[in-house]
Amino acid sequence: MSEKKYTKDHEWVSIVNEIATIGISNHAQESLGDIVFIELPSVGNSVKAKDEICVVESVKAASDIYAPIDGEIIEVNNNLENDAAIINQDAENEGWIFKMKISDSNQYSELMSEDEYKQFLEQ
Amino acid sequence: MPFAGFNMPINYKTGIINEHKNVRNHSGIFDVSHMGQILIENNESYLHKLEKYIPLQLKKLIKNRSHYSFLLNKDGGVIDDLIISNIDIKDKSYLYIVYNASRKKEDEEIFTSCAPNAEKIYKKNCLFAIQGPDSIYVLKNIIDIPNNMNFFDILISKYNNNEIIVSRSGYTGEDGFELSIPNESAENLITHLLKNENTMLCGLGSRDSLRLEAGLSLYGHELNEKITPIEAGLSWALDKERLEDENLNGNKILSDQLKNKLSKKKIGLISTSKSMLRDGMTLLDNNNNEVGKITSGCFSPNLNKSIAIGYIISEFNIDNPIFCEIRKNLELVKINNLPFVKKKYKKNGSIYE
Repeated sequence: MSEKKYTKDHEWVSIVNEIATIGISNHAQESLGDIVFIELPSVGNSVKAKDEICVVESVKAASDIYAPIDGEIIEVNNNLENDAAIINQDAENEGWIFKMKISDSNQYSELMSEDEYKQFLEQ
Repeated sequence: MPFAGFNMPINYKTGIINEHKNVRNHSGIFDVSHMGQILIENNESYLHKLEKYIPLQLKKLIKNRSHYSFLLNKDGGVIDDLIISNIDIKDKSYLYIVYNASRKKEDEEIFTSCAPNAEKIYKKNCLFAIQGPDSIYVLKNIIDIPNNMNFFDILISKYNNNEIIVSRSGYTGEDGFELSIPNESAENLITHLLKNENTMLCGLGSRDSLRLEAGLSLYGHELNEKITPIEAGLSWALDKERLEDENLNGNKILSDQLKNKLSKKKIGLISTSKSMLRDGMTLLDNNNNEVGKITSGCFSPNLNKSIAIGYIISEFNIDNPIFCEIRKNLELVKINNLPFVKKKYKKNGSIYE
């Protein structure tokens, strides 16, 4: 698996064989609080980086999740449908949200590394 | 989170849902020191002036009882909702009023215009609420609570040789107490209460979901200067004799509203999907006409669904389907009687002597 990278909108991305797995960061999960519902994206949709593609509802607020890079949605984590709180328990593993077939790997290399994301959070 | 000029926690370590359930099943402690607290001398001239704004017979308030009431503007709209109590402190009789932090400026202008020597005590006294069925057990080892104390009774007790104001009240739908305690003893009291392993500190998030389940109104949401207590479904809190009194702001409008049909009414709503109902969302009928708005919405841990309070036009027939616009989709919602969760107050007495 490639290095895990992060967006400024607090999503994480990791890539295996041009398939990207995407979720929200542990920091995002902590600031959202108890997550009660997620509106998953539709499989088959082609999306561009920065498109709003799904919504996470926590007890505090609804938050949009953006596509971190261009690509096609090929799988969603159906376990979240019944238990969105998995994201609170394990945001960066079991709490993955969707997978994409990516079209431009340069976009991926432009995202932040874990260290860069940590620095970004401290700013 | 900034709230009415205070920096307030939405939740503590274990999160909103856990705090919420702990209050419903055991107990939880809220630091509500941001709220306004004022003492007004029980003096006939002051009371007469206050009766212009407050729809109660202030001279007849029973000693050691609290009342839910309002400050009303000329149109009968709600300037604020508040709890007003008649208590003696050091042999002197006072009205003790607790009011919303977000309305301090408006309220205090009225209080001091009616009673120039009104004493704001929130700078020297903290206010804590302990709520939930176990509150009495957590509290009674620490503070003397008489067995016959009912919901909305209020008295002076002692902690660390400080006089504290104890009322059996709160805003969660559960039995509970509010404690007004001098700052110097406040931390000791909290530490003392938290020694009980089944209680915990709770933030604004669970305070909101608890009051919403109990169908209780929140200023700035269900209540504002353009809504009367009658439209808000709170006519029970108005003294009907006062509605005949010209000295009460908006008395004619209010008595008309009591007799005639209202233009809007307050309702409860439950989501039929997993989507969250939130403040500001639009309600529509099956012809796509707007029939109302949501004023508060949250996830209900007790119902495991989203619930909301809102206003709809009275012409809307509540047997017809009603939809909520959620992120451009229309979702069917269900009208539900308030409260969503039954209130569990300790038996109430009558309001007047």
